[in-house]
Amino acid sequence: MRKISIDPITRLEGHGKIDIFLDDEGDVANAYFIVPELRGFEQFCVGRPAEEMPRITTRICGVCPEAHHMAAAKALDALFHVEPTPVAHKVRELFYMAFFVTDHTTHFYALGGPDFILGPDARPAERNILGVIHKVGLDVGKQVIDTRMRNHHVIRKMGGRGVHPVAAMPGGWSKPITEEDRAEFEEIARKNVDFALFSLKVFNDVVLGNPAYLEMVLSDSYTDRTYSMGLVDEKNRVNFYDGQVRVVDPDGEEFVKYHPVEYTSHIEEHVEPWTYLKFPYLKAVGWKGFVAGKDSGVYIATPLSRLNVSDGMATPLAQEAFEKMYDTFGQGKTPSGRNRPVHHRLATHWARLIELLYASERMLELATDPEITDPNVRAPVTETPDEGVGCVEAPRGTLTHHYWTDEKGILTRVNLIVGTTNNYAPMAMSVKKAASSFIKKGNVSNGILNRVEMAFRSYDPCFGCATHSLPGQMPLEIVIRNPKGEVIERLSQNVA
Amino acid sequence: MSTLVLGLGNAILSDDGVGIRVAEAVRARLPEDAGVEVREVCIGGLRLMEEMIGYDHVILIDSYLSPGGKPGDFRRLTLDDLRSVTPTEHSFSPHDASLTVAYDMGLRMGLPLPETVSIYAIEATNVTDFSEQLTPEVEQAVERVTEAVLDELAETAARAPKPGINAP
Repeated sequence: MRKISIDPITRLEGHGKIDIFLDDEGDVANAYFIVPELRGFEQFCVGRPAEEMPRITTRICGVCPEAHHMAAAKALDALFHVEPTPVAHKVRELFYMAFFVTDHTTHFYALGGPDFILGPDARPAERNILGVIHKVGLDVGKQVIDTRMRNHHVIRKMGGRGVHPVAAMPGGWSKPITEEDRAEFEEIARKNVDFALFSLKVFNDVVLGNPAYLEMVLSDSYTDRTYSMGLVDEKNRVNFYDGQVRVVDPDGEEFVKYHPVEYTSHIEEHVEPWTYLKFPYLKAVGWKGFVAGKDSGVYIATPLSRLNVSDGMATPLAQEAFEKMYDTFGQGKTPSGRNRPVHHRLATHWARLIELLYASERMLELATDPEITDPNVRAPVTETPDEGVGCVEAPRGTLTHHYWTDEKGILTRVNLIVGTTNNYAPMAMSVKKAASSFIKKGNVSNGILNRVEMAFRSYDPCFGCATHSLPGQMPLEIVIRNPKGEVIERLSQNVA
Repeated sequence: MSTLVLGLGNAILSDDGVGIRVAEAVRARLPEDAGVEVREVCIGGLRLMEEMIGYDHVILIDSYLSPGGKPGDFRRLTLDDLRSVTPTEHSFSPHDASLTVAYDMGLRMGLPLPETVSIYAIEATNVTDFSEQLTPEVEQAVERVTEAVLDELAETAARAPKPGINAP
């Protein structure tokens, strides 16, 4: 058996490793997506005051500290039995929408988009945001940077700090929005809406307008029929900040809907000997291995799954875009009248842009809400803490924080299910499927490597957890080994 | 001449926090009127590039893991070195561009980015366990790297027309 490793040479924010084992025929026998675990977070937290968690947990991840900040704040609301004031919820959500805009923008233009805008066979040296600018024009780069910077400005102003916000607290938010700020945020949100519409047009022209790309999106290599998960509001529409967790089955019918506090009744974690990270799955269906289908408890929690579980978007332009996506894939309706889910993993990029539009529109709604400048942004905490669960949608999946404390509010136990973890099993399956499709009879090339990377790139995974050791990127290397483990060939993405 | 010192890393992830520790030490020893801005951040790629906009001279301090590296050793690198250490423009980073790609992009767009970027890379051992402590070898490097950064700042100030008055 031959072994191919896609292996980091140097460390990076969130490094992973892919081992692909070939059989005697040179076809893929198995693929392992190995993620190193950061250790000791729970021990680090235990013994500290719970109210520090919105600030500590932002340090878990350098990519989405705002998501941890928000999940932690909501877990503290539950822990201290305090209901934030109505305006506090709105202020938090406004902040959170600005974060979603920056995050989804970055993924599409810096990471996911280049595969389409430059093509999956583009040289690695070009397959990045510089290449996108080269192809589509400097103005796109300017818009991306402007979008990031104006929303970072909102995050800094509202969150108290630029990178690791400090404003959330049990019962609300530490400072109200002034009329001057509100007017500025409104202007920023309007620009976000325009930018999101522009981005959807880019997707429409570049991807949907190219039959070869559409064929790739629809191909079996990038399709897995699994369950979908996401938070929905009371009308079963996508919501990033709050709601109930809804799961639909691979055919599109609702499988279960539950309050986030009940997560342990619905989610269990499977352990494999070859990786530290656990694989969450639906308890009621059970773990049947790395397989798709209705009998397998594997689910996805991504922009695509959020759209799959929802009955629509809560804002008008995003709703139009939502309808267009489901019409385009033409899966039809379920017996109960729901859209049948889209299982083409590369469609996640489209879903992400629809979410970008929703986040922009929702930000505008909140920035023009007459109540948003109400100074009453915090409800007093009076109850004794014990246990609390907080849940939001992070850009890369449903994020759950669960804290236990003694009566003085000192943490005794902490459990987190982070966005990317939800998708570990489906990512491993997608990697294997892409590898199986593109590696035949021992034929391996750099182009194939990128096709395999594309499989997990659509999930926007983040294993970074705030480690930023230089050089801040992860070159890949394929090592082909003979059955004795000796290296017989070495291929690298670096050979540009 | 405007100068920015950025300590990079995660302050609660063992040696990953060494850049933060050095930045704190640099700040503590700089005269108040030095006119040098010092920040601790946990960012990379595009965000890091954006943080450098408007400065003439930026010093980055970060942990580093190189094959066979000796913990606590440090090197002063340039952006060009960073390209040769990882001679690819392809970013595998799960969510961002590499610093060199981000920097080149900023230049293409005409952003006012620093002409001089010095990178102090400190060999780390443990960047996977949550802890506020550095490992002993890396702890010992903090003082040496702090001295090196202060020396570079002094040299920069000496070359500037009006030493010490270089706030942005």
